[in-house]
Amino acid sequence: MRLPKFEYIEPKSLKEAVKNLSADPSGTYLLAGGTDLLVNMKFGVITPARIIHLKSIPKLSYIIEEKEAIRIGVLTSLRDLYTSPLIQEKFSILSHAAREVGAYAHQVMGTVGGNLCQGNRCRFYNQSPFWRSVRPPCFKAGGEICHVIKKPRECHSTYCGDLAPALIAMGARVKVLGPQGERIFPLKRLYSFNGKKPLSLRKGEIIKEVIVPQSSGKGVYLKWRWRGSIEFPIVSLALYIEKEDNKISLARVVFSGVGEGPVEASGIEKMLIGKTLDDSIIDSLSREVPQTVSPMRTSIYSPAYKRKMAGILLREGLDRLKWIN
Amino acid sequence: MKRILKLNVNGEDLEILVEGHKTLLEVLREDLGLTGTKRGCDLGTCGACTVLVDGRPWLSCLTLAVAVEKKKITTIEGLAQNGKLHPLQNAFIEKGAIQCGFCTPGMILTAKAFLEENPHPSEEEVKRAISGNLCRCTGYVKIVEAILSASGRESRGE
Amino acid sequence: MSEFNVVGKREPMLDAWEKATGKAKYTDDLSLPGMLFGKILRSPLPHAKILKVDLTEALKVPGVKDAISGRDIPKRKYGIVPKAKDEYALAIEKVRYIGDEVAAVVATSPEAAEEAISRIKVEYEELPAVFDPLEAMKPGAPIIHEEVPDNVSATIRKEFGNVAKAFKDSDFIFEDHFETQPVNHCPMEPQAALAMVDHFGKVTLWSSTQIPFFLRRNLATTLDLPESKVRIIKPKVGGGFGQKIDLYAKDFCAAFFAMRTGRPVKFVYDREEVFTCTRQRHPMYIYLKTGVKKDGTILAQQFRVIADGGAYNSTAPLMITLACFFIMLPYRIENLLFEGYHVYTNKPVGGAMRGHGIPQVRFAVETQLDIIAEKIGIDPLELRLKNAFQAGEPHPAKLLVQSCGFSETLKKAAEAIGWREKRGKLPFGRGVGLAGASFPSGVSNMSHISSGAIVKIERDGSVTLLTGAADIGQGAETVISQIVAEELGVRIEDIRITAADTEITPLDPGTFGSGVTLRAGNAARMAARAAKEKLLEAIAEKMEVSPGELEMKNRRIFLRENPDRGFSFEEAIKIYQYSDRPMPIIGRGSYFPPAKEPTTLLHEDGNFSPAYSFMTQAAEVEVDPKTGRVRVLKMVTAHDCGKAINPMLVEGQLEGSVVGGMGQALYENIIMEKGQVLNPNFLDYGIPTAMEIPSIESIEVETNDPEGPFGAKESGEGTQLSPAPAIVNAIYDAIGVRFKTLPVTPDKVLEALEKRER
Repeated sequence: MRLPKFEYIEPKSLKEAVKNLSADPSGTYLLAGGTDLLVNMKFGVITPARIIHLKSIPKLSYIIEEKEAIRIGVLTSLRDLYTSPLIQEKFSILSHAAREVGAYAHQVMGTVGGNLCQGNRCRFYNQSPFWRSVRPPCFKAGGEICHVIKKPRECHSTYCGDLAPALIAMGARVKVLGPQGERIFPLKRLYSFNGKKPLSLRKGEIIKEVIVPQSSGKGVYLKWRWRGSIEFPIVSLALYIEKEDNKISLARVVFSGVGEGPVEASGIEKMLIGKTLDDSIIDSLSREVPQTVSPMRTSIYSPAYKRKMAGILLREGLDRLKWIN
Repeated sequence: MKRILKLNVNGEDLEILVEGHKTLLEVLREDLGLTGTKRGCDLGTCGACTVLVDGRPWLSCLTLAVAVEKKKITTIEGLAQNGKLHPLQNAFIEKGAIQCGFCTPGMILTAKAFLEENPHPSEEEVKRAISGNLCRCTGYVKIVEAILSASGRESRGE
Repeated sequence: MSEFNVVGKREPMLDAWEKATGKAKYTDDLSLPGMLFGKILRSPLPHAKILKVDLTEALKVPGVKDAISGRDIPKRKYGIVPKAKDEYALAIEKVRYIGDEVAAVVATSPEAAEEAISRIKVEYEELPAVFDPLEAMKPGAPIIHEEVPDNVSATIRKEFGNVAKAFKDSDFIFEDHFETQPVNHCPMEPQAALAMVDHFGKVTLWSSTQIPFFLRRNLATTLDLPESKVRIIKPKVGGGFGQKIDLYAKDFCAAFFAMRTGRPVKFVYDREEVFTCTRQRHPMYIYLKTGVKKDGTILAQQFRVIADGGAYNSTAPLMITLACFFIMLPYRIENLLFEGYHVYTNKPVGGAMRGHGIPQVRFAVETQLDIIAEKIGIDPLELRLKNAFQAGEPHPAKLLVQSCGFSETLKKAAEAIGWREKRGKLPFGRGVGLAGASFPSGVSNMSHISSGAIVKIERDGSVTLLTGAADIGQGAETVISQIVAEELGVRIEDIRITAADTEITPLDPGTFGSGVTLRAGNAARMAARAAKEKLLEAIAEKMEVSPGELEMKNRRIFLRENPDRGFSFEEAIKIYQYSDRPMPIIGRGSYFPPAKEPTTLLHEDGNFSPAYSFMTQAAEVEVDPKTGRVRVLKMVTAHDCGKAINPMLVEGQLEGSVVGGMGQALYENIIMEKGQVLNPNFLDYGIPTAMEIPSIESIEVETNDPEGPFGAKESGEGTQLSPAPAIVNAIYDAIGVRFKTLPVTPDKVLEALEKRER
């Protein structure tokens, strides 16, 4: 499978990249690790007129600890992220999530920014031209119809990234650079929940770094897949809680693989506040989960199975955090 | 559009004229004749095309050749030094870790990068490291054995 | 001390060095000057008439040199079984599955070929399609091949003994239904072909094939050329497992375009084509009825097996025959009724795959044996031992079993898994299980039955070996060289082997049915003997003894009774030459296995294979009741492979085979929706990664078969018959749930556990 032709740009600075991107935001794509973009290009679902290679820009790979937060450069590789002693020690949920992406080479090539911006996936979309020729093109691939729900001009492709749920659970923010300068906003707002255009970045904006607040709580990242490597999550869960006097004072519950973006189960989060984690609470909340997520049939796994596994993951996650203060 | 590409492959500086949209895998195999790097899935899921870029494992089928111009690329052809096989190559041969051989180049290069990061790995760590390199012949048993034995050998300075 | 010097040694594969250094050349690694690149257009419809194929726009793409559709090719059907030919190299009148070949192009670059394919316009008239063999067998179902109006393209009905009476005499009758899934071989090397044509019109094709001589025949047929105008060369092949047995459109198209354009042409399949448009293991519906006595003696078995063949036959009659005959081993089953059907559907095509038709029925039998054991209160191991077939017993189907280590494999596997301590005694979630099997060491197939070999002893004391055997990564060239080296008393490094080139090497059936070591090994050994006899004759003359008194070992020829009297190999060759005998010293061997061609067994009785291997797999599993995940902790594989010519390669075969079998038990499944493969990639099709592998213990049970070279039999294919039932039986031991449908994925386990709770 050959790549389509494109113009290749190596900017010297992020500012220059922003300028290039702003010139034609719809026809220009950013290349970091390439493990997602190049597959989609080979499948012909993305046909960039221009590719901006960000790795030519120096000094975007770093992990810096400050008093209030750590700052992670957008081009930090997943491998560097999870092998960092700092991350392993203080942000184990994050090192765990990064370790679960693809396999060794994907982790070396893949970057924090690339993983956060990983394209949404769908069984009708991430396929070859031959495979897709069986039906009219789907809305996301430039056609009119969504084959998942058989309705026009909708897209329910699913977010399947590993890092975003963990980072959202940690309360991370992103710093982006755009034509109007820098802005910082909570990572969860990066996701539009529009399958066709899953990121809410404005024209010409590029992520520069991720800011993760120092925290006192504990978290886990649980990825459910059938084999121990390569696969995207069928469902995954990032869970983060802070306790005061053994009662939960802050809870974040974020799923991947069940919606058009990383899905924060705010209902469950609210129910957790003020509670002590005992078996009956864990049991009742886990039973609640299948009703609070609504995955669609976008992969080979059924929505009912994803819902069921989401509940099982929450039970497992809460069980693990039960004894940790 | 064709462009001049400057690559450092197996320690040699090369200048070649290629289409700008070619992957590293295509350039290695088709323009440089380095067919030791294999195309197994072309979609980054089998690991057969793994090469080393600055010593780390890289899926050459998902890498634009232009994007690694300033890097040091090592393919399986560049692993033996002065006619002397790398300990991993010897271990793979002697332990029966090679059957059809199609996954072997990617497997050996992945193992090389891994052992450089982690010279004394556990069996579980080895399995995780090569879990993106698929093999249908061996059931991985002898591959894991070979990597573990090479790690021992390296530490003994053989 | 071993009686052998080379046989029985853990020799590394002869080509391991090439493969470890990247120098080994597979088909796609070859290039020829002026080579064109091809691409095939495939059907997006499961069943349709082709009304029109318009190549005009494709031919306008810069770089495109030629384009064809089914209308442009000789109307010659091909198929691996001569009497079951039903396929054109490109579809001519209609397409029968999503992926069927419709048209092809060649261009100066792969990019141009891909672009051209997208510009071909095809008009279809869609026809009703059928995706389930049970539906396809019903009257009024869409007809997929006009000449097979009921869609049943191969049938077998065999009865041995008196089944009705035996059921009457039984104390217990068991009836169960089983289902198995489609599985892809997943060789790491995708199928490829490179062709060129010389001045005399002879086509040379380098192809990733397991069976060069069959390919020559099929290719000659489709090109409408005599066989002598086709030469097949097999470069290194990156795994086959049965998937590289058939001719594919890439072979035909490479050759046909090379003939039309006069330029070399290469076709390489992408991974999706390997998944969708080559071959897969036949999914089966299996109904099994077994009658037993109270003491566990199996009196009778009755089978109704419906195999989903997909759109074409491939090996259909052979597959269904294998399924039938290999139920009759490794257990003594005096009374058997087997009805098997190969049914067309509008889906990807079934073909030979490691075990070929047998693993599916073996899964049914071995799972049901555990059901029987539980019901009548016998230990599953004892039940199997009680019914185990023994060497030399008369066989109801007239199979000639000269060596049989089945009982020993059962005992050894059970011991190694800790059967007595663990079975039924582990905590909930942990369990052990086992299952047995038997496999042929070579199937005599159609016109290409015998294997030939030539051995030349050269002036410098080296040995040249020509064999038609096709090494596809299993190490055939190494093993055959070991056999020749042993026979001649030389070192393995003295042998230079040239293999699998139809123009140079003698006829060989190729790699299938696990016959290579036995068939080609015997032929090579005969050739070595013939050359050796010539040399011994000259030396005997010189020493004034009879040739029978001489021995060749350690590169010496000496008097058996007085080893000090003799000559080095080099001296002996000199003596041979100075005695005015012609050089080189050539020995020829041809081996014809004492067995019937399988499809004749559809109608008559007879021996199936020159030798039979026997094996037992035992598994220990852990089931996580919270998630339904099954982890195989340990697999034991005890295999009666006769004599292991190369124990390291045998182990490698067993280990790979077991992991493949585990994949098919737990992870692998080609999922289809209306004839379309939903998971034609390694992300969604679960071939095991290194993370999944259990600890594996391989036990070689040596029996020394009189027919096999140095006693050798099959290894590594039969091993894939029983991992799945062993694992499924272990799951039952772990959680008390019996699965009759493969694969046993976590969602199914979870659901079963929930049902059990309720």
